[in-house]
Amino acid sequence: MQQREEKHLEASLESLITQVAHVKNALHSFIFKLENEYERLTWPSVLDNFALLSGQLNTINKLLKNEKTPSFRNQLIIPLLLSQDRDDDLAKVTEQRVPVFSHEIVPDYLRTKPDPEVEEQEKLLSIEAARIGPEVAQKQIQTLNKLCSNLLEKLSNPRDERDAESAALRQNKCWFNPADTSALVGAVAFGKGLSKCPKNKYIPCAPSLMPGGPPTLQQVTMGAAGQQGPLGGPPQQQGQPGRTSLPVAIRQGRGFAGTFQAVIRV
Amino acid sequence: MEAPPVTVMPVTGGTINMMEYLLQGSVLDQALESLLHRLRGLCDNMEPSTFTDHELVYLLKGQQGNPFILRARRSLSQPAAPWHLRYLGQPEVGDKSRHALVRNCVDVAASHSLPEFLNEMGFRMDHEFVANGHIFRKGAMKVVVSKLSRILVPGNTDNTERLSLSYLVELSVLAPAGQDTVSEDMRSFAEQLKPLVHLEKIDPSKQRH
Repeated sequence: MQQREEKHLEASLESLITQVAHVKNALHSFIFKLENEYERLTWPSVLDNFALLSGQLNTINKLLKNEKTPSFRNQLIIPLLLSQDRDDDLAKVTEQRVPVFSHEIVPDYLRTKPDPEVEEQEKLLSIEAARIGPEVAQKQIQTLNKLCSNLLEKLSNPRDERDAESAALRQNKCWFNPADTSALVGAVAFGKGLSKCPKNKYIPCAPSLMPGGPPTLQQVTMGAAGQQGPLGGPPQQQGQPGRTSLPVAIRQGRGFAGTFQAVIRV
Repeated sequence: MEAPPVTVMPVTGGTINMMEYLLQGSVLDQALESLLHRLRGLCDNMEPSTFTDHELVYLLKGQQGNPFILRARRSLSQPAAPWHLRYLGQPEVGDKSRHALVRNCVDVAASHSLPEFLNEMGFRMDHEFVANGHIFRKGAMKVVVSKLSRILVPGNTDNTERLSLSYLVELSVLAPAGQDTVSEDMRSFAEQLKPLVHLEKIDPSKQRH
């Protein structure tokens, strides 16, 4: 009987040690990635690492809950010998993490109770729980269960339903105002909504300007087309083949190109 | 009075007749950041450049017909840069299925004496405004997101008041006449900006009423 129990104990210890070794390796590679490949790391791969760790912890939990696992609580570990000397075998087994089995490591590695602060908090929580009474506690438990199930339901619903809702929400948000569009376009196109300038600067364009016009105008026309026409010719000649036609003051002759370049040369 | 439409004019040499293909839309202030992010992603990778321009629109009223319009623009953020003079023709009413507004466009640079020159020529300033915002490029396409402000005291560009709570978004391409693939490209680019902003062909003459 005892031998069987011992065998159980040993087997479960072995499997626990392997599981913990898996967790250790996963943590090791994750830390390495975080420290060295920091720039190339993407959030999905970080999530993958966390998922791996969580899965491994789950396995360990299941292992401990397993019926075949004897209760480890009944076992005692008593350090038989503590020494300040370096123990090479221990160092090798623990990959240089525990070189000396001394008094300093005992409280950390052979701890059975949680940290003092954690213990305090647990005590407070259990006092609080005892204070509120069983009915209130039951109601709180029920509310929590309801919230969780609602959330699970929403998450497990088909994706299409969720997308339809969010699309409808997005459409309600307006990014532009058509009235504003027409106002702005009107302003740019012909000054709708912009104050018009006073008319006092208006000089009527008429042939009266032409006779005795400044000599530079003549230069313009010569430069433009090499054609001469009498200054003060007929004001507007529409339907002339030619590109843009400015009346009177600039345009002379017919069919020249590059009017604007000519204008600017003045 | 306007230049006769491109299609009936013989080519008499000189510069190539450039057409401006235009799509316009607007976006509310609160959506501006998202739009800028999207444009930064979609457009060519360059330093996002902002601009502040003062545009004056000059009219020359002839004996008959519509007045002749010239637009003079200067940069308030770079005062030493030359003025920019632009002529925009009437939108071409050819193909209804064409996705963008197409109009004849002539652009030249001018010296700082442009306003006095235009006044001497007989032009009268009709209105002016200040536009500031961001400009993005994607290949030949240019996207301008600008906030328009009206000038309260003529000539004083510091004292301005916003026209509306939206930014004007314009997608434009300057191309020689007759290239209809341009409007297809513009339309597919505009699709990518939905639903933030709906860029569409807005006929200014219809806006007048």
